[in-house]
Amino acid sequence: MSRPHTLDTADLLPRRRRDWLFALGVTIVSTVVVLAIVGPYVGPYDPTMTTPNVSMPPPSLSEIPGLFGAWVSGSLEAPPHWMGTDASGFDVFSRVIAAPRTDLVIALVANGLSLLVGVFLGLIAGYYRNAATELMMRVSDVMQSFPVFISAMVLVALAGRSTTNIVIALAFVYTPIYVRLTRAEVMSQKVRGFVEAARALGNTELSIAIRHVLPNSLTPALIQASVTIGFAILLTAGLSFVGAGVRPPTPEWGLMISTGANQIILGEWWPSVFPGIAISLTVFGFAVLGNALERRYDAS
Amino acid sequence: MHREAAAVSERPEARAARAVLSVENLVVGYPVAGRMVKPVDGLSFRVHEREVVGLIGDAGSGKSTAALALLGLARAPGKILGGRVDFEGRDLLKLPDAEIRAIRGRDIGIIVQNPRSSLNPMLRVGKQIGYAYQAHNEANAATARRKAVEMLRMVGINDPESRAEAYAHELSGGMAQRALIAMALSSRPKLLIADEPTSGLDVTIQAQFLDEMWNTVQRTGSAILLITQELGTLANYCDRVLVLHEGRIVEDAPVKQFFADPQHPYSQQILKLQRERGTSLGLPPIYTGTKPLLATRDLRKTFAVRHTKKLIQAVDKVSLQIGRGETLGLVGESGSGKTTVGRCLLRLLEPSAGSVVFDGADLVKLPPTDMRRYRSKLQIVFQDPFDSLNPRWTIRQILTEPLDLHTELSTSEKRRRAEELIDLVDLDRTLLERKPRGLGAGALQRINIARALACNPEFIVLDEPTSVLSPRARVGLIELLVRLQKELGISYLFISHDLTTVRYLCHKVSVMYLGQIVETGTVEQVFSRPRHPYSQALLSAHLFPDPSNRRVDQSIPAALEGEIPSPIDLPHGCYLASRCPHVVDECRATPQRLEPVGEGQEVRCWRAAKGDIQAFGGVHG
Repeated sequence: MSRPHTLDTADLLPRRRRDWLFALGVTIVSTVVVLAIVGPYVGPYDPTMTTPNVSMPPPSLSEIPGLFGAWVSGSLEAPPHWMGTDASGFDVFSRVIAAPRTDLVIALVANGLSLLVGVFLGLIAGYYRNAATELMMRVSDVMQSFPVFISAMVLVALAGRSTTNIVIALAFVYTPIYVRLTRAEVMSQKVRGFVEAARALGNTELSIAIRHVLPNSLTPALIQASVTIGFAILLTAGLSFVGAGVRPPTPEWGLMISTGANQIILGEWWPSVFPGIAISLTVFGFAVLGNALERRYDAS
Repeated sequence: MHREAAAVSERPEARAARAVLSVENLVVGYPVAGRMVKPVDGLSFRVHEREVVGLIGDAGSGKSTAALALLGLARAPGKILGGRVDFEGRDLLKLPDAEIRAIRGRDIGIIVQNPRSSLNPMLRVGKQIGYAYQAHNEANAATARRKAVEMLRMVGINDPESRAEAYAHELSGGMAQRALIAMALSSRPKLLIADEPTSGLDVTIQAQFLDEMWNTVQRTGSAILLITQELGTLANYCDRVLVLHEGRIVEDAPVKQFFADPQHPYSQQILKLQRERGTSLGLPPIYTGTKPLLATRDLRKTFAVRHTKKLIQAVDKVSLQIGRGETLGLVGESGSGKTTVGRCLLRLLEPSAGSVVFDGADLVKLPPTDMRRYRSKLQIVFQDPFDSLNPRWTIRQILTEPLDLHTELSTSEKRRRAEELIDLVDLDRTLLERKPRGLGAGALQRINIARALACNPEFIVLDEPTSVLSPRARVGLIELLVRLQKELGISYLFISHDLTTVRYLCHKVSVMYLGQIVETGTVEQVFSRPRHPYSQALLSAHLFPDPSNRRVDQSIPAALEGEIPSPIDLPHGCYLASRCPHVVDECRATPQRLEPVGEGQEVRCWRAAKGDIQAFGGVHG
C-alpha cells in the first residue's frame, strides 16, 4: 500500500552507472546526427569523387601524430587519407562521415512513418476490440513471422531500388512492432480509473481515446523507436550490402562494406572495417539510449 | 509526549513482564539527491512478553521501514544509521550476520502485507511450513512434517493432514493466511511482527485472521508487534498503542487510555470522529415526503462467462431509492455486486435490465448524447485516487475538463471556477499548476471530489473513497463529505465495506450479498437491530474502534461457515442457505423476497420477517 513515499524507486537504482551509459548513448547519437547534417561537407575529400590514390592503406598509428601536425600546419599539398582509400580511389574517411546523411535519414524517416502509422493502428486495435481489429492483428502476426531482412529485401526487389522504396519497405516491416506495443499499452491504460472518470464526466469515446488514452500510451513506442532507429540503420546497410539498397557511389556504410569485401582476401581490410565500426557504434549508441530511456520510464 | 509510566499493558499476566524487544533511538536513512532522508528518526519503544502492541501511523510515517530495521534490514540504498535493537538482551544491530539470520524467523516471526502471495505456489503447504521449521531447528523431514501438521491444527485448520498436502491455490483465502501464521509461528518465536497483515481483505476474513493470530499467540506465548492503519484493529486486538509520526513514536499508551484521552495532536486528529460522534459531525437532516431523486427498479447486470453460455449474476433485481440530500450506504463483501450497482447507475456499465430513474427520466433508455448531458448531474468518485486522475494533466486541466464539456464559461470564468473548487475541498491553490504525481492519497481524493463537484451535481456515487487513505486523511475526507452535503445538498450513494465509516456518513444503509439487497433500513435500524442473518454476521465481524467492547474479550457468534455459492450457479432458494445458522428446509426451496418489517426496514429472509430470528445485540455507541 503506502504509495506516496518520500522515496522514489528511481533513487534505489545505482545512479552513477546508469547516467554514465546514458551519457555515452547521447554522445554517440548526437555525433551521428551532427554528421548526418554536415558530414558530406566537412570531409577532406568529396565523398563521391575518386582520387588518383587507389587502395592506399591508412597511416599507421605511429605516423598519425606527425601527419596530423603537418596537415594542421598546411605543409601537405593534399590532406591525408586517414582511413585509406578503396579500390576505386574513394577516400574512406570522407565517405564514412558522409554516410549518416544516407543511413540516418532513411532510418529516421522510415521510423517516423512506422511510428505514426503503428501508433495510430495500435490505438484503434487496442481501444476498439472487434473482428476487424483482430484481423488486423493477425495480418501483422503474419508480417512479423517473416524475418525483417527478408521482407524488406523482397519489397525493395519488387518495387525497385530507390531511396523512397527503401524507406517504405523499412516502414512497412517496422510498423507491426509499434502496432503491437501501442495496442498492449492502450489495453492496459483504457481500463484505468481516469479513463472511466473521463467517461463519467461525459467525454465521447473518441475524445477519451485521443485525449486520455493516447498520450498515456506513447511511452513504450517512443522508447522502442530509439532502439529501432539503430536497427533500421543496420537494415539499410544490410540491404545495400546485398545489393538491394542505395546505388553507388552514394556514400553508405553497407555499400562500403560490400564493395570493400572483395579486397579483404588481398589484405585490404580498411575499406570495410571502418564503416563496420561506424555501424556498430551507431547501433550500440541508439540501443544504449533506448535502454536508458526505458529504465527511466520503468522507474517513474 | 512519551508516557513510559503507562507503557505496561493492562492485561494482568503482562503487567510484571519484562521487555522482549527494546528499541532505542533507531535511525534509518536513505540518501536522496545528496542528502539523507530519515524515514525512521529516533525510534524508541518496548514490547513486553505476551503483549500485543499496535503500531499505527500514516502512509510514509516509516512503519514498514521500522519493521525491517528491527530485523537489522534496510532496503538498499538505505542504511541503519544508529540506535539499539535489544532482543532478549542482545543488540541485534551489532550481531554478526549469521547470528541475526538465526534469530529472524526462529525467535522473531514475520507476517508481511498480502499474506496470500507470500506462499510459494510451487510447494505443498506442509512442506513450506516444515522448511520454515527446519531452517531453525535440527529436524528430519518426518519431524518437520509432523510439526507442520501440528501447527496447522493449532491455527484451526480442519483435517490438517490432508491440508498439508495442498498447494497454496487450493486453499481459500482465509486458510492460506492461517497457513502463513502457522509458518511464522512454527518455531514458537518470542516475537511476531505483523506488517498490515490484513490490508485488502474482506471484513469477515480479516476478523478470522486476527482472531486466529491472537488465539495462537495466547497459546504460544509470543508477543506481537502489529503494524496497522486501522483503528478497529488497534481497539480490538492490541493491549498497547504506539503512534508513529514522522519517524518517531509520539504516543505510547494502553489501548483504552489511547482511545479515551489521546495526547499527541496527530492521535487526536485520527480519533476525532470517535470522540466527537453525535456532536459536531451531525449529518444534515433528510428532506422527507418528497419523491426520491434517484430510484432504481429491478436493476440487473449479468456478465457472460467467456467461451460458455453461462452468465454471472453480478446484480440481481436491485431496487434502491435515494432522496435529495440523503446518503445511502451500500455495504457488502467484495464480490457482492455493490461496485457494479454504482457503475450501472451512471451507465458506466450498461444494466442488463431494470430502470434507473433520475429526476423523472429513465437513464437506461436515454440515447448516448442525452446521457452525456445528464453526466453533469450525476458524478462518481472512485476508490483509487491515484488511478483516477490523468497523470499527464495538471490539476487545473483536470478540474476544468468537466467545465469544457458541460458549460459555456469563458477561459477566465473557468480559471475562477477551478480556484473555487480547490478552495471548496480545502486544498491550496498552488496545487492547480501541479500534476497528480507526488501528491498524497488524501489530496488526490479531494481533487477527485472537486472534479466531481465542478458542474454542481445533484448526486455522487462514492465508491469506497476512503479505503486507501491513511487514518488522518480518512478522517479529513469524511468530514469534507459531510460538510459538502450540508452546504450543497448533494445526495450520495456511499459504497463501502467499512461499516465504521458508513455509520458516520450515511442516513440509510443497504446490505448486499451475492448481487441482492438482503436488508435495507436506517443506519440506526441496521446497526443496532440487524434482522438478516447475513447483516448480523457482517456486523459481528466488523472491527469497530471501541476498546471498551473488544472482540477478544467476548464470545463472538460464529462467523458464517461454508462456501459462498458461485455467482454462476446460484441456488434456487435463499442464497445464504448454505452458510446460514438459521436455515430450515423451506429456505432452500423458496426464493426470498424483500419483506417490510416495519418503520421502512426491509429484509430478504422469511424467517426474520416472521420474527423467528433473534435480532442480535447489534452495535452500540
